Amino acid sequence: MSELLLRTVYALVIVGACIAAYFGVRAFVLWRARGQAGSLLQFIRGIPGVVLFTTPECVTCKVIQRPALAELKSRLANRVQIIEIDAAERPDLARTWSVLSVPTTFVLNAEGRPVHVNHGVASTRKLMDQLSLRD
Amino acid sequence: MEEGVLRKVDHSALRVNQAVIILALLVGFIVNVPWLIAAVAFFMLLGTAIGRPGFFFFYTGLLKPARIVRPHVLMDNPEPHRFAQGFGGIVAAGSAVALLLGAAVAGWVLAWVVIVLASLNLFLGFCAGCAVYYWLNRLRVPGFSRTPPAGTIPGMRPRG
Repeated sequence: MSELLLRTVYALVIVGACIAAYFGVRAFVLWRARGQAGSLLQFIRGIPGVVLFTTPECVTCKVIQRPALAELKSRLANRVQIIEIDAAERPDLARTWSVLSVPTTFVLNAEGRPVHVNHGVASTRKLMDQLSLRD
Repeated sequence: MEEGVLRKVDHSALRVNQAVIILALLVGFIVNVPWLIAAVAFFMLLGTAIGRPGFFFFYTGLLKPARIVRPHVLMDNPEPHRFAQGFGGIVAAGSAVALLLGAAVAGWVLAWVVIVLASLNLFLGFCAGCAVYYWLNRLRVPGFSRTPPAGTIPGMRPRG
């Protein structure tokens, strides 16, 4: 095997290990959040939902994420529930849901189980796909 | 301990810088070119000296004007990012020196340390060098006067 190819393989293996570790951490966050759905008093069982962690200073949340969620709500109406949590006001929830940055969105199935987590902005289309719902 | 004097920091410029560093070091590793590692170290240390991201020209001269990358301005402390870049530059310089002296394993391990830490910052928003800076601040080491922005875990990208 040529040296160039061998080094490429090494690089791919290391990068692959890092990506695997990243997805491992995401899976851990979801697993950890599964026990926390009960902490959301607003959650209505039987309707899938999106939980948005934000802060008052989060410009991205205000300018991009909230409008995306408003569009999601207008498209799906009462087939989805949106729950917004101020991470600055509820650091306990931010901690138990492993939220380190905002916006962070969790997609919950109808039983309230977190099935997807998005660190950073999640578009309406992406959230609809994750909810497995169509307008 | 200084608090409450946050300034505007364009995190897009920092992220472009990290992406260029990762890409250049990866290419340097794959094609086995130690001078590329030395060049990355040079730009990182030069950027630290002038108080800007080492590869800021990619952002300000190309990606931002072409609207490929949009500014992401957050209220933050620029000093920890400068420290982190300087720290990374020293590690990259160590890597280049080791490679030029024939210590290939040590040299590439150091280069991969920079790649992994820059990736943590770029993809997960965790700046290890900034965390070290804030840790030194807590230990009251002179010169490390900034505290993390309110509500931000030391080293994590500020919420906003």
